[in-house]
Amino acid sequence: MRSKCDKIERLLSDYIDGTLSERQNSDVALHLRSCGLCKREVVALKKTHHLLENFYVEPEASDAYYARFTTRLQQRIEQSAPTALHQQLFAVVTRLGWHLLTQMHRRIDHSRLSGFLSIRQHAFPYYIIGLTLTMLVVAPLLLNQVSPQDDGNHVLGRLYAAAKIRFFSADSPVSVQPTAALAIKQDKTGTQPTGIRRNVSSGRMTETPAIDSSSDVWQFTDEPVTEGYIFTTLQENDSDTVPSAALDIDSELLAYAELPTQGAFWARLTGRDVLTENRYTLLLLQGMDAGQHALQQYERKWGGFKGFSQKLLDVPLEILSIPEVYDSREL
Amino acid sequence: MERTEALLIADLCEGDETALAPLVEKYKRMVYRLAMQITKNHTDADDVMQETFIKVYRSIRTFRKDAAFETWLYRIAVNEALNFVKRRERRRESTLETASEAAYEATTRYRAQIANDPHAHAEKAELRHHVTEAVNSLSLKHRTVVILHEFEGLTHAEIASILNCSEGTVRSRLHYARKKLRTLLKPYVDASNV
Repeated sequence: MRSKCDKIERLLSDYIDGTLSERQNSDVALHLRSCGLCKREVVALKKTHHLLENFYVEPEASDAYYARFTTRLQQRIEQSAPTALHQQLFAVVTRLGWHLLTQMHRRIDHSRLSGFLSIRQHAFPYYIIGLTLTMLVVAPLLLNQVSPQDDGNHVLGRLYAAAKIRFFSADSPVSVQPTAALAIKQDKTGTQPTGIRRNVSSGRMTETPAIDSSSDVWQFTDEPVTEGYIFTTLQENDSDTVPSAALDIDSELLAYAELPTQGAFWARLTGRDVLTENRYTLLLLQGMDAGQHALQQYERKWGGFKGFSQKLLDVPLEILSIPEVYDSREL
Repeated sequence: MERTEALLIADLCEGDETALAPLVEKYKRMVYRLAMQITKNHTDADDVMQETFIKVYRSIRTFRKDAAFETWLYRIAVNEALNFVKRRERRRESTLETASEAAYEATTRYRAQIANDPHAHAEKAELRHHVTEAVNSLSLKHRTVVILHEFEGLTHAEIASILNCSEGTVRSRLHYARKKLRTLLKPYVDASNV
């Protein structure tokens, strides 16, 4: 009897929904007439269904939120520009390079050289190597051509990657209440570039931030924020450091960047004075483990680390989340 | 003249950006509701909403015109939200999730609705709270099918299509989710006269 009940019990959910076949339905109905246990189960499931139907409260946001959302979405769509020029050029060059190599192969083939060199069978790896080398030579040239240019006053950094950072709201039950300040770059005149601040205060990217090369100092602002972005840039000037932004809370670092490359990190390691007092450099991490490993290497090389990097190890991750990591193409 | 949904979709396929706004207007509450129920966090739900509609905008040409737009949108939104939660879990934010769920408690509007509803009897308010909590406490898989079936009214086949699994899996998850809910709500189930 018990095994029959087990079999029927698995059908009860569908029985209540009325989604059983006619035969299964009559089987269940027949069983229920003789089994009080299963009958009670059906009643309990029906009552549960009734409770869900009548007392579950669906989440709803305010009209003001939806209005803000629609505006932000619209702006984001307007900003989603077509593929960047350098990416298009890269694609064209790749196609062109491949086409040239194919033609070359055909000519060699037709001239019967392939007969005694067996080029047809063995040339493919060389083509790949040739193409790769071509790309390695051509791509940096192209990238330099189309990177942000000196507009007369500024040499712009190239936006390399950004991670969105989020704190819980002030009414969060988390014991540590964040009063975070976003690091921004300050130029020599003391005026703060508006690009990043505007992005932060509005909670979204409005433009690719222009980094003023006249200063390489990032300073913490006093302005509390609950959400912001980490920016990192690769400078096009002679500095080999990686200027970056970080978040600070009562002098305890909260920022943890999970950025899509390690290249910039190793570039940072070549910097000699990036971690002097009041100067901070963002560590680019693939993950916390990778980051700690890198920090140990840095420690061995430079005999310790200060400021930002040191604090990074104390990141209280439980009050910070990084919901998104963007790469430069998406931006 | 107001454009029909089919016309809006056709216009959007042809690159008419203005066709997106009415679609967003029509479905934003549904997407928010789903995203919020799955991620259990307003800020995450906001991100899921953004990504969902951006995906609609970018992928509208892949939408088969013979299919239902709503089901297609459900698929995008649900999967976006599920991926969001999975990514969050992969980042080993288990402690964060706990805090996040607690933050959800504090920030979700339904709590305010319950607390401030002058017409609701205190017992009913408490019941609403417990029923809602019970659903929120289900595992991600079980919660998702309950939301889609019980509250969004989708069929097993539609849910299977959205979650890319078999109907049998949907039925099974729904069955276990209901049993779990019945256990969680036992005092109320026993007291109910329905």
